[in-house]
Amino acid sequence: MSSIRQIFEKPWIWAFVAAIGVWIATITFTQGQGAGGVLTAAFSFATFSVIVALGQMMVITLGPGNVDLSIPATMTLAGTVATKVMATQDSMIIFGLLVALGVGLGVGLVNYGLIRLLRIPPIIATLSSSFLFQSAAIWYNRGLRIKPPPLLADFATSTVWGVPVLAIFIIVLSVAIHIALHRTVYGRSVTAIGQNMRAASLAGINVNRVRFLTYILCAVFAALNGFFFSAFSGGAALNMGQTYLLNSIAVVVIGGTSVAGGFANVPGLWGAALFLFLVEAMLNTYGLGAGIRLLLTGLIIVGVITAAGGQKTAR
Amino acid sequence: MKRVTGIVALAALGASVAAGSAFADTSDKKIALSNNYAGNSWRQAMLRSWEKVTGQAVADGVVAAADAFTTAENQVTEQAAQIQNMILEGYDAIVLNAASPEGLNGAVKEACDAGIIVVSFDGIVTEPCAWRVAVDFKQMGKDEVLYLAEKMPDGGKLLEIRGLAGVFVDDEISSGIHEGVAENAQFEIVGSVHGDWAQDVAQKAVAGILPSLPEDIVAVVTQGGDGYGAAQAFKAAGRDTPLIIMGNREDELKWWKEQKDANGYETMSVSIAPGVSTLAFWVAQQILDGADVPKDLTVPFLRIDQDNLEENLANTEPGGVANTEYSLDDAKKVVDEAKM
Repeated sequence: MSSIRQIFEKPWIWAFVAAIGVWIATITFTQGQGAGGVLTAAFSFATFSVIVALGQMMVITLGPGNVDLSIPATMTLAGTVATKVMATQDSMIIFGLLVALGVGLGVGLVNYGLIRLLRIPPIIATLSSSFLFQSAAIWYNRGLRIKPPPLLADFATSTVWGVPVLAIFIIVLSVAIHIALHRTVYGRSVTAIGQNMRAASLAGINVNRVRFLTYILCAVFAALNGFFFSAFSGGAALNMGQTYLLNSIAVVVIGGTSVAGGFANVPGLWGAALFLFLVEAMLNTYGLGAGIRLLLTGLIIVGVITAAGGQKTAR
Repeated sequence: MKRVTGIVALAALGASVAAGSAFADTSDKKIALSNNYAGNSWRQAMLRSWEKVTGQAVADGVVAAADAFTTAENQVTEQAAQIQNMILEGYDAIVLNAASPEGLNGAVKEACDAGIIVVSFDGIVTEPCAWRVAVDFKQMGKDEVLYLAEKMPDGGKLLEIRGLAGVFVDDEISSGIHEGVAENAQFEIVGSVHGDWAQDVAQKAVAGILPSLPEDIVAVVTQGGDGYGAAQAFKAAGRDTPLIIMGNREDELKWWKEQKDANGYETMSVSIAPGVSTLAFWVAQQILDGADVPKDLTVPFLRIDQDNLEENLANTEPGGVANTEYSLDDAKKVVDEAKM
């Protein structure tokens, strides 16, 4: 009994409860048809949400005011540059991946440069840098949509027993981040800075270095997502990152990470990402009008966050 | 490129011969383009078409000037100020793609009172003194179903992909589709999602609803910009690709061409050409010339079919939208049709 109670005290459980509830509500409506198909699709798209949300989570955990708004532009730039460099050649996939990661590294450097050297608040720094990156993507390829190499496209869309292969890789990455967060000096430092930057600094943590690494990490993950998403959807488009800005923040918050910083939660990201996809799928399956769909989406999200938050205060 | 300008020049020449006095009447007139947004490929193509056609018209002496102005932000107040500037600068006609159907009515009225001809297109205004070159979006939606009815007399189940919820255009196209389905009872819409006119959003939405839909979907009715994403979602779900109506985007046409070459895939594609700005230009020129032009005109659709796919694909810029520029004769035809 106590172990069950312990599980329900975890802030991330509610995202999973909500996701499973929504899934059951969907397949009840279709009388079981497509139960597996919906889950496969949910894992395919949740994977992309989770990649960016992992980075966004680390940034948000750094404390109030920390958020990366350049994720969509970074995705677009990395996807555009990588697909052009690979030029549909299977032999160039590794090089393309490295180029994408290099783009992420560059983006992270620019972002933190603006934040640290010019002392611009992160929200403004990443917003303005995102215009630079988006323009760079437009300039680099003028919206030309180059197909990914066939081998890479097959990899990004392949499934094993209904589980997307890419999702398996990202689950492994999530576990790694989870361990890094709780078991390494870097991870503990991020949490400590989010709880109290001054105290963390006085305790001997190199605050600037940790923040620097975190913004780099977030940008590299966004670039990685751009690389895989353009492989998944048949090429990079200029607006491909658009939906990932609010999505990355929503996934982080619904997943049980504190929006005020200082407390991160990796498992919740998966629950939240699956939940957000399944809610849309469910409301589409019900065939409701757009207005009611948006209304219900809002209400359901509020409900889940309240359930999770209510549990926390009771503790 | 050369061919199009050639046609335009020829059309201008033809007009001068046919109308006789056309040169004399508008050669000292100045026309301005007031545009509220330039941030997507459609608007970029619209501006380029304007530049190409009106540049030639100015060089040929049809009009004295045809300057294009775009506001920095997509805002009503800014565009109203822009129109007021145009009044002060003494333009004879303003061709307008409006940020809002009602918000600019005050500024448009001021322009009319100052004796300026205002021709709105695409984003039209409701002020009665202005001309409207409007798109019959409802008919566009209905045409999709009519095409399907001809192609598949037995009918079947349809998936509808809509645009951005809450936008007038989305409601119009969708109501046209539903009207077509109501008149052709052999069709049934079994699912409807919003794709926001973007291929990745459409792909995600279709992937989410597809598992719960029956296997025997015969066609996907769309609004443009979403066809390629739908194709990707069907492929990912391991389903046979049904007939997907396309919306003239280059990635859609390219995909269609690949399928056509591989397995004889057949569909059609319909949208509005960004070059509609040039149609509005010639309409303004005609009004200045003293022609009798009804206030409400309808833009012709740019439709691509199986036999002219290659030609249209070759003329479409990678990542862009299929386009066509209009000539003076096209404008006259549109005006004549409106009079009937």
